[in-house]
Amino acid sequence: MSKPFHELREHLLRAGVAPRHVRRYLTELADHLADLRAEEERAGRSRADAESAAFVRLGKMDDLAKAMIEQRQFQSWCARAPWAIFSLAPVLLLAVAWFVALFLLWSGWQIFLPGADTPFGSAVHGPIYRFENIYFQADKFYYFAAPILVGWGIALVAARQRVKAIWPVVGLVLVALMGAMNQVRASRTAVPDGFGHVRMDFAIGSSAPEIYFHLLHALILLTITALPYLIWRLQKAYSFSA
Amino acid sequence: MTARETNPNFMNGVPELLILRLLQQEEMYGYEIVQAIRSRTDAVIAVGEGVVYPVLHGLERDGALKSRRKTVNGRSRIYYSVTAIGSHRLADLSETWTNLASAIQKMLAGGQHVEAIP
Repeated sequence: MSKPFHELREHLLRAGVAPRHVRRYLTELADHLADLRAEEERAGRSRADAESAAFVRLGKMDDLAKAMIEQRQFQSWCARAPWAIFSLAPVLLLAVAWFVALFLLWSGWQIFLPGADTPFGSAVHGPIYRFENIYFQADKFYYFAAPILVGWGIALVAARQRVKAIWPVVGLVLVALMGAMNQVRASRTAVPDGFGHVRMDFAIGSSAPEIYFHLLHALILLTITALPYLIWRLQKAYSFSA
Repeated sequence: MTARETNPNFMNGVPELLILRLLQQEEMYGYEIVQAIRSRTDAVIAVGEGVVYPVLHGLERDGALKSRRKTVNGRSRIYYSVTAIGSHRLADLSETWTNLASAIQKMLAGGQHVEAIP
């Protein structure tokens, strides 16, 4: 991509135009520019002259950007409702991911540990590669990875759409706190018929060590999720200043 | 070389009207549309070549145009054509502009009373 188009893309993304509209606009502009250049070359200009004449005919980059930005219908949801995309959506997504994880836990409990009071601490007998073991370990991995994956999702969307740092930071902090403060409890006697009951609570802890543990956990989650985003921003800032 | 000047205040709605009119006759891609506008208006109406695309995309989003990708001479291009909604919009815009042009003509000719434009 030529430098003017690269700058135009950055300008449009920062102004909140949705990436898919930016991509299509730039594709068509590049095609149009190629047609103009060919026309100018047919008129007898040198390649360099044809290129600059084609850019003049295409229009100033500021005008091209303004024409797109003024069409509010091409604004992304990140620009229209950042609070929803970076605060509400991650919380809902994490809730759905955890619901699935808890459902898998409950199902595994019913299927593989029908006699156990809880699915925790009841070792599945047999070799480590036994299906039951793999099932519970995979579910556990998915459960703990969910906040990290959601956090990376926030960072990816924010980077892709050149969103100001404040909203992704809010989302990442929320996800880190949720990931650090939740606790899963399971009991077969909590509901009648011994059907098994799995519950998720959110608590910061009642004692100082517990609070420190949760805060440390939140900090670790925040570091893991925010680090790629931070590196991307630094890299972007460096490439612009260079 | 100087960039072509446009008159934005009076050009509001004009690119839309011209594009719909051109595309009602045949499907075209962006470059063809700009060249057709330039040649058919004897370059009196000059739209910035690149800014035609936001208008096209806006019309497509409103359902007035539809697009399809077509490969011609080894190059993939996006061709636009008018939909039924676009035809209605063209009829409305044409009527408005015809009334406006006739009202301005009357004023220039020295008429005293001009009917309100709907």
